[in-house]
Amino acid sequence: MIATADSQRRWRRIFLIVGGIVAAYALLAPLTSLDAAQAAGIPLLTDKFWFRIATYVVMFVVLATAWNIIGGITGYAAFGNVAFFGIGAYTTGMLIAKAKWPFLVALPLAPVLAALFAALVGLPLLRLRGHYFAVASLGVGVAVGELVQNIDYNGQPVFGGASGLFLPIYAVGHRGLFFFYLMCGAAAIAIAVTWWVLRSRFGYGLIAIRENEDAAAVIGVNTTAYKVAAFALAAALTGLAGGIFSQWNVFINQDNTFPIEYNVQMILMALLGGTGTVFGPAAGAVLLQLLIQFLGGSLPISFDLPFVSSEARPIVAQVILGLLLVVVVIFVPRGVIDFFGGRTRLSLSYLRRSLRDTSL
Amino acid sequence: MAAFVQLVILGLLAGGVYVAVGVGFGLVWGVLNIVNLAHGALVIVGGYVTWQLFTAFGLDPFLTLPVDAVALFVLGYALQRGVINRIIRAPLLFTFLLTFGLNLVIVNVLLLIFGSDFRSVTPTYSGQGFELGGIVIPYVRLASLGAAILLSTGLAFLLSRTRVGLSIHAIAADRDAAQLVGIDLRHTYAVTYGLGAACAGVAGGLIAMIQAITPTAGEPYTLQAFVVVILGGLGRVSATVVGGLAFGLVEAFGQSIPGSGSVFANAIAFGLMVLVLVTRPQGLMGRLR
Amino acid sequence: MNTAAEPQLELRGVTKRFGGVGAVDGVTFQVEKGEILGVIGPNGAGKTTLLNCISGVHRVDGGDIRWEGRSIAGLPPHRIARLGIGRTFQIVRPFGSMTVRENAAVGALFGSSAARRGLKEAFEVADQVLELVGLKAKADHPVSALTIPDRKRLEVARAVATRPQLLLLDEVMAGLNNVEIDEALEMVRAVHATGVTVLLIEHVMRVIVGICRRAIVLDFGHVLAEGEPEVVLRDERVIKAYLGERYAKRLRGERGQDSAS
Repeated sequence: MIATADSQRRWRRIFLIVGGIVAAYALLAPLTSLDAAQAAGIPLLTDKFWFRIATYVVMFVVLATAWNIIGGITGYAAFGNVAFFGIGAYTTGMLIAKAKWPFLVALPLAPVLAALFAALVGLPLLRLRGHYFAVASLGVGVAVGELVQNIDYNGQPVFGGASGLFLPIYAVGHRGLFFFYLMCGAAAIAIAVTWWVLRSRFGYGLIAIRENEDAAAVIGVNTTAYKVAAFALAAALTGLAGGIFSQWNVFINQDNTFPIEYNVQMILMALLGGTGTVFGPAAGAVLLQLLIQFLGGSLPISFDLPFVSSEARPIVAQVILGLLLVVVVIFVPRGVIDFFGGRTRLSLSYLRRSLRDTSL
Repeated sequence: MAAFVQLVILGLLAGGVYVAVGVGFGLVWGVLNIVNLAHGALVIVGGYVTWQLFTAFGLDPFLTLPVDAVALFVLGYALQRGVINRIIRAPLLFTFLLTFGLNLVIVNVLLLIFGSDFRSVTPTYSGQGFELGGIVIPYVRLASLGAAILLSTGLAFLLSRTRVGLSIHAIAADRDAAQLVGIDLRHTYAVTYGLGAACAGVAGGLIAMIQAITPTAGEPYTLQAFVVVILGGLGRVSATVVGGLAFGLVEAFGQSIPGSGSVFANAIAFGLMVLVLVTRPQGLMGRLR
Repeated sequence: MNTAAEPQLELRGVTKRFGGVGAVDGVTFQVEKGEILGVIGPNGAGKTTLLNCISGVHRVDGGDIRWEGRSIAGLPPHRIARLGIGRTFQIVRPFGSMTVRENAAVGALFGSSAARRGLKEAFEVADQVLELVGLKAKADHPVSALTIPDRKRLEVARAVATRPQLLLLDEVMAGLNNVEIDEALEMVRAVHATGVTVLLIEHVMRVIVGICRRAIVLDFGHVLAEGEPEVVLRDERVIKAYLGERYAKRLRGERGQDSAS
């Protein structure tokens, strides 16, 4: 027993140290592209290509961490959070492209508008439980995306319509670097907020709701207000990522700001890393997003799949991703989570047991 | 007035396909408590079976429907028996993720086999129809509405009058009690999912006759199945039929709003679904579970 | 304001129907500050429904519920909890992912608004409460490691931690053996001794006799009898409600006091 606990602690420590080193490298390596660093003869550790992928990875850190607040901590399986991403993106995008606001002034309105929208739809939606909430939130996600693309006024699309919305390029030196660190800032906020929530009265109320909503209510938790607040908080963080995305990507449309697969990806990331924890969703986001990019062949370190032509490669990558998803869900329902949560050791017998627990 | 009648008829005709798409999804959700995100992909598989039989052997597409049903039943049975049964006791998010993973696999395997080109099934009578009170009613649409009603009736009959149907009712009501009276849970679960997949396959066959299909076109059908089942109410085939026809009507009237594209109608349908969920979670026809 | 004459809690013709059937039908009674009041009745008498009405889990269909002279009918559960009415659930509902101590602490963190506290104090309150109910030794156990009687204790602990003035206990003795019932009665007395009014819902009559000065018998949603437990339990209508007409006839003249346990 004690030996297990010790080795477990050791593994966790190794994981934290490795994670810390990787994170520090990822955060600092981009700095070598600065002129000053180049002038000082420091070797270039990353290029622009990496910035883009790294920024995507960090964006998913924000999305998964934000989802964790409503899905992991509060226990409401939100399946339409991408709506908040899109609302954030279009808020900033419209303010910059149409109202000519400067980016940094327009950005703060993205989380505000996303949170307001979440509070508005959350009031009726969060009365639903289980599958019904999941389905309804998915419906909201889809409906918002379609409305944004299709709303016309006097025959003109209000939000750029099907052809999307172009933003002026943000004039800043080292753009890639700037947006990478800006996204990192958003991730830091998301993680800090989660850390605070889990140590606050608010967080205890949310966990109580997740564990048993009726019991939470009769000990005095204002369940409606708490659920709506958690939903709005998740929406604000998601909207912030969307706002940054719009200026970073310069072009936004329904496809890149309301993609349904983001809903699934952010949940999977949180599940992989550990729902309800501070760093779990972030770790899951990094792992899964790198894997997706790797399989898709967009990472510099790549490999050739045997018997697969280059055209078929992205498709085969998706098949592998799907199979991986199936395997992970079947064999490790709580495994990874419990492991990083320090509750158990990832072993063959554990896999067998978790399989037995969930099978028919 | 004539325009109104026209919209009602068009809506009901379109609703036929939605009924077919919805019944299988509703069965799997209601009985297995699985929201099957792979449903749309199964619909498309059915579409490709019909297309393949039509192009390779010149088989009449309506005659391919039973083949769709059998093929998809086998596929569905295998999926549930081999994969989904293994997480049936896990929290609901896991079934979401698992079926999404299956969706990803099915869609991309279809892409590898058939490519991303749009395929359509055009028998000699496609595009033909007859006129009724100033409205042209396409034969294919009318026949597919008939096929959908036939499919639902058959399913309802199977569920209420056969041994298998009773077992399915039993596992839906109480899994553990059903096991106690000697029902083979794994088999019955697999049969249920297989039936759901078979319905999806027939729906796919019908859809292939009405519009061109491509492997990635399945997602909207999963979403439509949601709306249909929610509108009608979970747990009964007849409720899904009502839901499907209602969805067809909503879509027809939504598209008739000046200035709104066909996609806009989708937003209206989803808005309606959310409204129904919030105000009447048991659906228009359903009982609260 | 709160004079001795005014009851702490007053139910006036409280009615709750499910699909036309009156689960609770015109129930009127009062709870005096500081007492232990027993509410008993056969299965399906409407005891739990009544409790759900008081704690706001159900919205009443008729009548009024007054707390210290003010109507609380229609308030949401959390508002009622904050006024100082705590409750337990018959089928225990612990917060499964938390430890025993955390469960109690969440109660202390929320609960009665008269005694709002921070995180640190909440854990101190939790420790006190766990000692009171006899769970101190298991404070750091996960809930899943608790036995059934301990889970019932935890249910009480969480409710007590909310610092209620009135505690509604829903069959905390159900499913316990005789020794465990005695221990649970000790716990209820200990909680009562801290100055909490207790409304004890029970199916087992023996429990009521041992601890309550006053008892109310519910049957089919109506108040059947009210008074001292020993007297109430000898009431023929009560015996009939519990054991049926034939038993009541047979017992007539026998004075069976413990017969209905």
